[in-house]
Amino acid sequence: MSDTAIRISNLHVRYGRMVAVEDAALNVSRGAVYALVGRNGAGKSSLVRCLLGQQKPQRGDVALFGEDAWSRRKSLMQRIGVVTEDADAPPEMSVGAIARFCSRLYDKWDQDSVEARLRTFGVPLTSRFGSLSKGQKKQVSLAMALAISPELLVLDDPTLGLDVVARKSLFEEVIGDLADRGTTIFITTHDLAGVETFADRVGMMEHGRIVLDEDVDALKSRFRRIRFAAQPVAIDTAVLRPTVMRSWGGGAEAIVSNYDDVSFERMRSTSNIGAAEVEAMSLEEIFIAIAGGKAGGNS
Amino acid sequence: MKNALVIAAREFEEKRFVAYAAVAFAILPFIIGILPGINNRSPREVIAIAAVVLGTGFTLGLAVITGASFIGRDLSDGRMSFYFSRPAGSFSIWFGKLTAGILMIVGCFGFIVVPARLAAGDHWKKLFSTTLTWWTAYILAIAVGLFLIAHVIGTFARSRSPLIALDFIAAVICGVSVRYLLVPLMAGEAFVIIDWLSSALAISAALAVICGGAWQLERGRTDRRRSHLALSQFLWGAMAVVLLIAAAYVAWVVSEKPGDLTANVQATRSTSGPFAVLTGMSKGRADYRAAFLINADDGSVTRIDSWAAWTTRYTRDGRSAVVLRRADNVANIMIYTQGKTEPIDTGLTMTAGDYVLSDDATRIATISRPMTLSIYDVAQKRSLASARLPDATFVQTFFVTNDIVRAYLNVPNGMKIMELDARTRGLRETGFVPSGNAIFIYPDSSSMHMLMKTGPGGLTLNDARTGTPLRTLATGTQLKTARYLRDGRIAFVDGPNSATVLHILATDGTPQRDIPLGGKTWITIVGDDGTRIVLNDVDAPLGKRMLEAVNIDHGIIERREPIVDWVPSGAMDTRPAIQPLREVFYVGANGHMTTWNPATGAKRAIT
Repeated sequence: MSDTAIRISNLHVRYGRMVAVEDAALNVSRGAVYALVGRNGAGKSSLVRCLLGQQKPQRGDVALFGEDAWSRRKSLMQRIGVVTEDADAPPEMSVGAIARFCSRLYDKWDQDSVEARLRTFGVPLTSRFGSLSKGQKKQVSLAMALAISPELLVLDDPTLGLDVVARKSLFEEVIGDLADRGTTIFITTHDLAGVETFADRVGMMEHGRIVLDEDVDALKSRFRRIRFAAQPVAIDTAVLRPTVMRSWGGGAEAIVSNYDDVSFERMRSTSNIGAAEVEAMSLEEIFIAIAGGKAGGNS
Repeated sequence: MKNALVIAAREFEEKRFVAYAAVAFAILPFIIGILPGINNRSPREVIAIAAVVLGTGFTLGLAVITGASFIGRDLSDGRMSFYFSRPAGSFSIWFGKLTAGILMIVGCFGFIVVPARLAAGDHWKKLFSTTLTWWTAYILAIAVGLFLIAHVIGTFARSRSPLIALDFIAAVICGVSVRYLLVPLMAGEAFVIIDWLSSALAISAALAVICGGAWQLERGRTDRRRSHLALSQFLWGAMAVVLLIAAAYVAWVVSEKPGDLTANVQATRSTSGPFAVLTGMSKGRADYRAAFLINADDGSVTRIDSWAAWTTRYTRDGRSAVVLRRADNVANIMIYTQGKTEPIDTGLTMTAGDYVLSDDATRIATISRPMTLSIYDVAQKRSLASARLPDATFVQTFFVTNDIVRAYLNVPNGMKIMELDARTRGLRETGFVPSGNAIFIYPDSSSMHMLMKTGPGGLTLNDARTGTPLRTLATGTQLKTARYLRDGRIAFVDGPNSATVLHILATDGTPQRDIPLGGKTWITIVGDDGTRIVLNDVDAPLGKRMLEAVNIDHGIIERREPIVDWVPSGAMDTRPAIQPLREVFYVGANGHMTTWNPATGAKRAIT
């Protein structure tokens, strides 16, 4: 049995002349929570469609649990719960009818868990899917996805349309719980704060490329915001590499992507930088720093 | 299979409102039936008619709407991932949806029609008789066809892909290819093959769409453009293969040679000269009827439309054959001339009617509906004169000269003789022969005199222009056939079937010689070479068709040749040939055309 739940290598997706995904590669171990972030149009949804065997890439391989996602989609879907970006069930169907329909397709189906979750979410079984709010549709999709106790849960922007309470509930109670139970989770999201607490690894897509793929802890440990009391500041870039450098109050602020205490102390001792304050950064801040740095360059 | 049924059930559940609508449509005929004012038929008949009309309309409309949306809308609305993120195979998704769509169409039709059928009782049979079963099958077949076509168009249109331009081109190519496949078969009057081929192409197209739909979902899955691409590739690829196979079959059907004709072989020939048209069927080609224009002198064979076999005309000089060639809704008049490889396209067209030729084929006269006689010049490709003829039951027309066409019109109380002159563009009546019977005429070479066959066994010599009677040649003698010979003498055959006699008369009708022919149940004069007359007859004692060469100088039957079928002259022109008869065409064993030289008895196989 493969220890890797998801293996993507050399993935290329094109729509006509437009490149959606270019040379993407990533691995997700079993039981890990992988958060894929990126701005709109970065290529996340195309990558997810390939991941789910719904789209054949022009080039590259996508394997789930060691099996090809395109050719083995049908059998793999018995093990995978999916919440798509746009809730896609037919609008005329009632929530109960969707549950009945899905239950007939899967080998294992926990109807009680579906009903319990829908009760928790406050979605009646008799409601027409088309009459539900965007957030409720996501909740219905999630309830269906979890009814098979999936080995892998793929969530494509699951918080889109959810209110703050529902979002917090989703992350803390549902995803956190599944993560604790060892379910592999692949999530694309803009809500970095939400996934920060339980994501093991994070990837970032930009213009179809995966520009970052790293363990969250390692990522957070190497990114620091350093605020200097005076400016101009001459940082020895051989020691610390600033991703962003800008004025801050009367001094300057630098975001470095290769921080470690020893290097910082060495730089401090060799450079005339005066008083400096080092702060840890959230995932969201790191994402903005990376995305902003790429988009706007150092300022 | 199980997943396909699950998906089909879901489709039914989603579209249950269609069933409600069908129920409403099923009730509607009963309401119409009790409406006041529709009382010229019994309420039961009204119910039956209304149910059939509503059922047909509803079913066809439903087919188009459902076909256009059952896959295409899910793709364009991004809802196909609902299925593809479940453990359902592409084929299950396709066949589940397809099955539901088709069953819904059939079911709704039944919903609407069956209650009315039960209520109408015997009135139903009175109104629709046994054709209803076929009619139902046709309606449902058309509905399924529309459903599949709508699916294809729906997928293509909803993908918003520029590929649709190529689809349009491919569809046009398919349409044009089918037309080109059917045209040679129509020319060969192969209606059984056309029926069969059309059905095969329709079934193939339906299968291509059905299999293409499965392929579309397997390759395209949730991507509407890839889905479109996959369907296009499969559909047009499959159609290309089907059309190639059909083209190969049609090519084989129409590739038959004159020698292949073995069944229903028939032919016409020129009164003198080498041209003949052979038409017939061959083994394994169903009802395809090939036709060939054959030049017996040089052995050349030209394929012509089979229907044109019966409209081919030959000039009296024997040098030309005139063949009609279909072009859309008109027929082009083509002239094939001895010694020329390519025909002359006269530029003249015909829609319906008949035509005659001048002796040298430089002029053509057409009689088109409604009884309009026109003279055309072939070289100038223009009309020289045209006039409306009186209505007649039977018309015989001849070029007296290249400028004058004479028409003999059988009218209710006799025969009118009229001439159209290309120089004056005038039509005038030159004579009238009163008669209570139909008149058939045999003019001489110069068109000055004519033999007139009227009533039972009457044969007279008349002025050909005025119809004035000159002499009675036979009356009440069981006349069988008559004809002028090339030298102006007259020949006719009469007598009972057990003892027929050939009479030779001088130009003025004076009897010269009687030659007993023996028992003949049927007889006609083919022509003469100056010394002998060739007869075609059914010999009474033998019961066989024969060609017989009668030496009129010696008064004896010189030669006899048993044949399978005779080859008649391909014209209503009953004047004697300009050239002496050299060889006579006939259809021999196994449909092979043969020529027979009445002077020597030599035979020559043509096909």
